[in-house]
Amino acid sequence: MASKTNEKSLYDQVVSILDTLQGKTIPSYQGLYAFWQNPDTFLNASLYGQRLIAPKNDGTTIVASSGCCGSSTTSTEATKSASPVKTEGCCSSQQDATVPLDTKQNITASTSLTSTTGTADCWPSGGSGGGGSLPTVKRSAQSGIIIGLKGQYPFDGTMFPRLLWDTENVATVAQIQTIANWIDADCPLTLEEERANKLQLVSFTNASNLVALARGEMLHQQATVSTNASKESVNGLTVRKEISSLSPEELGIFREAINCMNQYNAYWQDDRSFDYWARIHTNSCQHGWEQFLPWHRLYLYFFEQKLQDYDKNITLPYWSWTDYADVNKTTFNNTQFDLGIIPDAYGCFLTTKGFDKLNTSKATDGSALFSPKEITALANLTKKGTIFNSGLRFLKAAGINYEIINQNNTAIWSQKINVLYTVLKEVNPLWFPNRWPGALNGTAGMSQYPTKDDVKLILDINSYAEFGGGSAYDHYFGALEKVHNGMHNFSGGTNPNYPDNNPEWVKIYKQLNLTADPQNVDNPIYGWMTDNRTTAFDPLFWGHHSNVDRIWAQWQEQHNGTPLDMDAVMAPWTLTIKDAMSVQKLGYTYMRDSVFYKVSNEVGLTKFNAAPANVSQHTLEAHRKTEIVLHKVQVGNLMNASIRVFINTPDASVDTPMADNDNFVEQFSTFNGSCFGGPGHCNLPLPNTRRFDRRPLHNHEPRNYKIDATATVQRLLNKGAKNITVQLVIVGLNGKPVENAVFIEGVSINFID
Amino acid sequence: MSKSYTTFKIHPSIGIARLGNSDQFYIAPEQPGALPIDCDASGKEKQDKAGNPVRVSSFKDDNDLSKIKKQAARFRVFAYEDEKDKNGKEIKVGGKYNFIYQTAVTAPRLVEGTVTDIDWTVHLANKKASWYEFQETNGQHGYAPDHPLRNPEVTQPDLRRQLIIDPGPVTVNLKNNQGAFAKFGSESKKLDTSKNKKVSYPQTFPPSDIKPNAIETLGSLFVNEQDKNIRLLVLGGNGNSGSTKTPVIESFVNNNGWFDDTSDGPVTAKIEYTFIDITYDGDKEIKTKTKASMDVQIPAWVVVGYPRYAPEMEDMITMDETMYDIFVRNMAYEPRLFGVPPFDTENNSPATKEEFDLWKNAARFNPDYYPKFYRDIWPIFRRPYEQTTFTMTFDPSDGGDPHNRGTGGNLSQTALSQPPSNGEDPNFQLRQFVFGIMRGTNQTNEYTVVGNAKSPNKPRLMPMLCGNNPLTNVSVDKFLAMRPTQLFFLKQWAAGKFVNECQEWEEGNPNCSNPWALPPTTGIGIDRGVLGNAVGGAFCPGAEMTWIMKNPAIYSEPFRIKHASYIPGALSIPQPIADKDGSTAPDLEKGLEPGDLTKYIGVPWQADFHECTDQNVDVTYENWNNIYPDSTGDPVQQQTAYNIPWWPAHRPIVVFDSSGSQVYWASGIPDNNAGDLQMVQAWKDLGFLIASGDGNNRSFSQIERNDEALGAPVKPGDRISGQNTTRSKSRK
Repeated sequence: MASKTNEKSLYDQVVSILDTLQGKTIPSYQGLYAFWQNPDTFLNASLYGQRLIAPKNDGTTIVASSGCCGSSTTSTEATKSASPVKTEGCCSSQQDATVPLDTKQNITASTSLTSTTGTADCWPSGGSGGGGSLPTVKRSAQSGIIIGLKGQYPFDGTMFPRLLWDTENVATVAQIQTIANWIDADCPLTLEEERANKLQLVSFTNASNLVALARGEMLHQQATVSTNASKESVNGLTVRKEISSLSPEELGIFREAINCMNQYNAYWQDDRSFDYWARIHTNSCQHGWEQFLPWHRLYLYFFEQKLQDYDKNITLPYWSWTDYADVNKTTFNNTQFDLGIIPDAYGCFLTTKGFDKLNTSKATDGSALFSPKEITALANLTKKGTIFNSGLRFLKAAGINYEIINQNNTAIWSQKINVLYTVLKEVNPLWFPNRWPGALNGTAGMSQYPTKDDVKLILDINSYAEFGGGSAYDHYFGALEKVHNGMHNFSGGTNPNYPDNNPEWVKIYKQLNLTADPQNVDNPIYGWMTDNRTTAFDPLFWGHHSNVDRIWAQWQEQHNGTPLDMDAVMAPWTLTIKDAMSVQKLGYTYMRDSVFYKVSNEVGLTKFNAAPANVSQHTLEAHRKTEIVLHKVQVGNLMNASIRVFINTPDASVDTPMADNDNFVEQFSTFNGSCFGGPGHCNLPLPNTRRFDRRPLHNHEPRNYKIDATATVQRLLNKGAKNITVQLVIVGLNGKPVENAVFIEGVSINFID
Repeated sequence: MSKSYTTFKIHPSIGIARLGNSDQFYIAPEQPGALPIDCDASGKEKQDKAGNPVRVSSFKDDNDLSKIKKQAARFRVFAYEDEKDKNGKEIKVGGKYNFIYQTAVTAPRLVEGTVTDIDWTVHLANKKASWYEFQETNGQHGYAPDHPLRNPEVTQPDLRRQLIIDPGPVTVNLKNNQGAFAKFGSESKKLDTSKNKKVSYPQTFPPSDIKPNAIETLGSLFVNEQDKNIRLLVLGGNGNSGSTKTPVIESFVNNNGWFDDTSDGPVTAKIEYTFIDITYDGDKEIKTKTKASMDVQIPAWVVVGYPRYAPEMEDMITMDETMYDIFVRNMAYEPRLFGVPPFDTENNSPATKEEFDLWKNAARFNPDYYPKFYRDIWPIFRRPYEQTTFTMTFDPSDGGDPHNRGTGGNLSQTALSQPPSNGEDPNFQLRQFVFGIMRGTNQTNEYTVVGNAKSPNKPRLMPMLCGNNPLTNVSVDKFLAMRPTQLFFLKQWAAGKFVNECQEWEEGNPNCSNPWALPPTTGIGIDRGVLGNAVGGAFCPGAEMTWIMKNPAIYSEPFRIKHASYIPGALSIPQPIADKDGSTAPDLEKGLEPGDLTKYIGVPWQADFHECTDQNVDVTYENWNNIYPDSTGDPVQQQTAYNIPWWPAHRPIVVFDSSGSQVYWASGIPDNNAGDLQMVQAWKDLGFLIASGDGNNRSFSQIERNDEALGAPVKPGDRISGQNTTRSKSRK
């Protein structure tokens, strides 16, 4: 007889607990009724301002209390804010709210104004009282259902009674724990999900695994969290990666943040608005002299800080132009426009969600906005998932005509184009409509698209002025900025549908009774990237400048030159050039990609054996330097030992030869000290989290080792290796295996450009 | 096993007795808008089969419509086991509690004792004639040295003290269960069986020949035992007012030579108990049954007011609501509502004066507070519609009462009670509109909404009732605003942050829409329920109590009056006179004495009571009540808000008689000083109003009016002998 499993999923248990507690009478729960029965409601809804299940993401976006005047409640509330509850009342003063009868329309007007700007308050905040929540707080502890069942504030009777309502039943400790476990397991809805989630934990929870890992008998798996989360776990610098190396999650949160910033664009003075940051460039940018590089470094720094308010693990990826040199050989010097190739991340594409919006879009007369043919084409593009380098190329593929209409003698997009572009920009906020990468009309432009060798030449320049721009007394464009200028022009490109660029459009403008305006907002002569007044409105700007900054940082590693006036203040900020001289001090570094292996510091390591680094083939081929980092190596009261580093040698041991071994990287010794003091003196120090703790590195702070493995890695790749694995072998000073000498918290392989 | 001693408190914290000229009485209601509780001759509550109190249906003696029954204030002692015990339980004879036992020669220790009796002590006094003149808001924060006194010719301190009616304290218990606040040797004192009745006290009473009615007592008290509970009942005076001179009334509030027999004072109690004391003689254990007593740690107060003629009609703002607002904003009473973030008890327990200063600087309303609709919001909108039936403001036959609570009305219960549900909020604009016309705390001198609209018909701000001072130019306060806490509730509500109890945790409870549907069983419930029947504003000067209740200094803790210690026969008098012989002057810091709550109220009360109908308020300038443009030929157009009512729930203007026709409630008593004087006698002949019907169909009709004395009631529009029938307050 086949055995049947009666195992119930955690979620089913949760539902049954709550069903039993509630009994027959189900109160309204603010219109949600039996919210636990619908996972979508349960996971996303709020009950009187209390999110029933705190959103995932370690507390940064969890703010249980709803706030006033711009501070956020929870993201679910935000999505509801189309209803006027959120926008009115809270911030209005008593006097304001004294609305006379005959100005009743005012309420309506201001309400609709707010909702048409689409401000869902998506930005995380510390809540109305200020102060963020601790990331160590469990998700369940922040969830309204747990707080409510436990009878904690606000469900302690002061505001609301204990949950559940309208029943005599009170949840037992065990029942609450079951629900909390379910939430802390990230709310799996099925047994399958549960098992998948558990699997990830296993390698770290099982003690025998820890030993197997520390002996090299099991492979250390690459961390699945974002690069910056990994780096943070070992107090590392944040990493700005090459944009194609971002994981889908990393790219997703970056896009989500930009999308959120776009929602505040109606508020000119709100520094959560994307356009607010773009206008800083419009108003304050420095070009053509030594301040070009430091000013833009700080510009990126402050913008990135803002993004990190949204999610602390966001960094600005860079656009490595030279990766695309081959494919752009002909696109720049060409009489045809809009042929250039840029990273896919900035491209134009459609998702199912976006398609659904377009599919139901109505014209002003109520008819469908898109013809059945167009809808079919859009559906196909969605299905294929093709990414286009410009919106115009997307339109062509969809068979949709680019249409301009005359509104008060100004050229604007037709409703169809407007709706389509709005959706496309929501789908990928890194894409920008007025961007036609490729040739520039009427100018000789740059003689060629920059290649790796071009950049190498620039990096060889020894003088800062020649590299980065002359001082105020003798100002001129530096070599890097000149290349940068060309890339602005390339990425903005020429609008193929502007009269000057296309005789067809001279006719169209005539028919529409329009005069061509090179600076027209919807249909300008060139892309916005080509004009330093508008460039930063195009999200590509940030990737472009991240790359400029990276090349400067790389130049700084090799040269000592600086701008002349180091005390000059970089308006609109109060920092000086001096403050901008080190990317480390600003907290970041550049890597094409990086992988991280978490190592338990509870068991002494004798051998580290890693699973292959999961990076793209392109990264392996294109990166300049391979760096292996041993993170947080403990130093107190430990025997000295040697650590031998191998690549692609899974069976490495103390007996593996070092001489004449292509796979051997390096051997180095630890240099530890004895530690004396009262009980606990030799323990690991607390993380330095206090704002005003300016003491230098703690004596017992575990240290890092960096090993340059470039030569070994290149050698093996040249020999045809398809991937990279790292092995560490710990050897006592007597040449024999040694336990309990090396305790570390992680290993990174950094692929540096 | 560690034990803590029991904390004992008297409830209600402030009891409300009411005058009556009958010997019969009933017990004060303990729920807002409830009818008084019926009782037997010894004051034991009558209960129905379900154990609920039986309510009175008649307010006068059976065969005499000129005899108003008294309302007794009932007090009980509650025991609180420890700090966590917020509700308490009434103590019983035979009940065992942990007392602190202490004698002259032993250190205090904890003993488990058995209650045998309670000694109740009450001290009533009336200080009205000895006090300052009431001049609206002037005096609210201390009196100028030249602020006029009532009876200004009496400047000798001992003579001034003779203006106080002070019968001295009276103590009663189960054994000596009846006492009287009466003059020694008077008829009223003869029934006194109280504990210390033979102890003399330097009583002061008005001359026995005051006219029209002499005052020889401020009331009486007795103790009864019901279901083993030992309870105190305090009865007030007979409604006698009289003047030492030829009686005339010249002012609604200050009349020299006059006395009345309202009063107030402290209520304390001592619990008598026995316990087995164990001592040792060598190894031999000796058990001794020992008698001891312990003071109830948290004492109470009693206030005697005038009759409540419409007990079921709630005031627009009750005294409970006024006091709650003060405690919330000044005493960290409800940190979840008003306090320092994160609004928990831990961060909101100031103890010292310095801590209170810091707390007050940082405390604010919790923007995430969700008020409850039926507890916090609906009473504000439920009351006006009923109250308008006591005024001439809206003619019901006109059909256009803007307070309409039915479907489609401005105050539609269905619409206003609906919180945003699952993201939908169809009533948002209605709530914003209603909130928009509620008068803000800083708009008490505004008549209509403030805004840019040019409309000549701007909505009037609500409540459209008189404020603390629509009369004089000193500290003008023309109109009533809901208390700041209530306005905060309304703000949250308007924004959609509120809960409808009936849809949520009380869905199955038929009384969900009325948190006061059942008699309170907790101590704090009784405190607040009782106060819910007293006027909480406006205070000009008020009915039972006045603006002094808004001063946090008079409280020892929320809802508790701070008791001052005082010297028998030397109760405090106004400072300029007290300074003459160095005797006691008022000192709020030290607490209140007998008579200190009612001394501000008009004397005799009947004058102000008669005049508290409605008022024409000059609204030309915000900061001026009285302007004299003619004196300078200023062509400014004077603007008047006509017929603004005071508090219709306490002093109806028009009512429906049993036949359903609308009549002037006080008809028969003319609208002039002579009428005020007539009211000194005629108050006992006025009719009472009882409610019938439920919810939005509730109506009030008059019963027990003594037409024999007052004549048939007059309908609006009818004129008899050229009389106007309503009366407004005026300055001399």
